[in-house]
Amino acid sequence: MISEQVYQPEADTYLLLAAVRDEIRGNERILEVGTGSGEIAFALQEMVSCTVIATDINPYAVKAARRRGIEVIRTDMCRGICSQFDIIICNPPYLPTQPEERIDDWLEYALDGGPDGLLFIRRFLAGISCNLAGDGKILLLISSLCGVKTCEELFTDTGFSFVMVAGEMIEGGESLFVYRLQPVIQSEK
Amino acid sequence: MKRELHDILCCPVCKGDLTLEVLEEDEREIITGSLTCAACNVVYPIEEGIPNLLPRNRDE
Repeated sequence: MISEQVYQPEADTYLLLAAVRDEIRGNERILEVGTGSGEIAFALQEMVSCTVIATDINPYAVKAARRRGIEVIRTDMCRGICSQFDIIICNPPYLPTQPEERIDDWLEYALDGGPDGLLFIRRFLAGISCNLAGDGKILLLISSLCGVKTCEELFTDTGFSFVMVAGEMIEGGESLFVYRLQPVIQSEK
Repeated sequence: MKRELHDILCCPVCKGDLTLEVLEEDEREIITGSLTCAACNVVYPIEEGIPNLLPRNRDE
């Protein structure tokens, strides 16, 4: 039985997985940040000859992922990892959550995006570049709940070029999108 | 964790190298052990095959 404290695969998981499959050419080094139940990492390591490594901060999530044979590290985002990856995947917590709405359990880490839904995404983008290989790319899921325009501005502000590679409407008028991000190379004039 | 994973792990605080100590290992991987950051004087545990690289309080 998988713990109730672990985020289980939902529409966002499968949208991101499909987008990742389209990006993979084979032999890439792949990092999944916040793997949850390990659904995406598991599918990728079954499917391709890539090296897949996953992280999560949630003790129940890392155990669930390990039970599926995933090489998993318990750490905050990718803080305990010094190497670089060709593809970094992340389905972040993005639900706008007010402080009084917080319930303080481990599942909340998978959901709570702070008051504007962007708290995790901001931290993720600010610290991720050192783990990206030269021509590496990020595949990041976002929701219309945190504002597509706001997210795109954030990508630009944090030094990434972006392309929307997948999108899907789900219940309640919410839309999900997958973006491919790459660091903007500062060209010399 | 597999032994090779050690090469890509670092201290989550100072990003420095970690020294691996293995207490229990099967034919595939390390089950129990530790990763020590000499610079920070902190030991990060490996338990049930999972390295725990969350920053630790000094009194833990």
